[in-house]
Amino acid sequence: MIDRRTFHAMGTEIELLVDADGADRSLNAAELEFHRLEALLSRFRDDSELSRLNRDGWIEPGPDLVRVVGLALEARERTSGRFDPTVHDALVAAGYDRSFEQLPAEGETTPPPPSAGGVWLRAGRIDLDPGVHLDLGGIGKGYAAERAAELLALAGPCLVNAGGDIAIRGGSWPVGVEHITLQLDSGGLATSGRDRRRWQRGGRELHHLIDPATGEPSETDLLRVTVVAGDAVDAEVAAKSLFLAGSKRAAAEANAAGMPAVLVTEDGRTLLAGGLA
Amino acid sequence: MTNHAGRLYALAIALAVFFLAWAVVAARPWATTAVDPRQKTLAIRAAQLRREAKLVNQIVAQRAQLARVTHNRQLASAAAAPAPVKIVTLPPLTITRTS
Repeated sequence: MIDRRTFHAMGTEIELLVDADGADRSLNAAELEFHRLEALLSRFRDDSELSRLNRDGWIEPGPDLVRVVGLALEARERTSGRFDPTVHDALVAAGYDRSFEQLPAEGETTPPPPSAGGVWLRAGRIDLDPGVHLDLGGIGKGYAAERAAELLALAGPCLVNAGGDIAIRGGSWPVGVEHITLQLDSGGLATSGRDRRRWQRGGRELHHLIDPATGEPSETDLLRVTVVAGDAVDAEVAAKSLFLAGSKRAAAEANAAGMPAVLVTEDGRTLLAGGLA
Repeated sequence: MTNHAGRLYALAIALAVFFLAWAVVAARPWATTAVDPRQKTLAIRAAQLRREAKLVNQIVAQRAQLARVTHNRQLASAAAAPAPVKIVTLPPLTITRTS
């Protein structure tokens, strides 16, 4: 029997599914893990490790921040900068300066600052170059989904859905993506798009997917991208990277990498790539 | 008078020579400087620990390097080999959407 729990964390709805009886303890542990990681990784909490790092320019962090920053830096390298955790100031300049639920409908923007500053990860310490600040929103959610799935898997086969970032441990799970259903046995899946987390500034519609090359919300012909990968973190990174590539290039890259992807264009077309058919 | 003064000088010189000789004998210049055996043992142990620490650091650095390489390989293979996935006609248990 599948046990299901939903709650709010990290600015989104979290859904835990586990194929086991009496999994309350594991469900509690997984839920607590989300709240624990949110307290460490949120840029909207003054006392989080990430906020302290952004404020002071350095920190001697706990293992989770080290891992997430390490994963983000590897992703920046792997995607040649399409995924970049240093877009924090560009997000703030675009108006995303507080939790999305508290964002005013209208407001001012400032010119986008440059991204891709230095982030130095040495033994037991993270240093930022002057003026560099990190946003770990998307990758933090993928990481939290993976950590929660590890805990939930102690009870049985499970799926953790952190607002579209999905981590799977065992079992067989049908997941709805656009008009199709994908069946997954392991790994992760994530969706990135500009159809949610949008706001208006100066009569212009903005969204949270910043192109590090311009420092502004990206303008491609894609509305949403869903990617299946080895885990939720890789899927999140790949979805953002493909979104910034635009439909033609994204399909070519997904096909070349054999990475299953569902691309939705702004004119409503759904393209399957990376071996999906 | 002269004899008296001479005796006094002789006595003073004799006293000076006596104390000088005493100081020389008290300093025992013939004795070798004895090292506390406990200090010697500690010095040997410190040198040994320094050698062992160097070895341990080398081993830790090698293992860390190995772990990094393995981790990077795992990441690469995870990215290169996505999870098995197929399109089915079952009703979904959950949906993914833009987060």
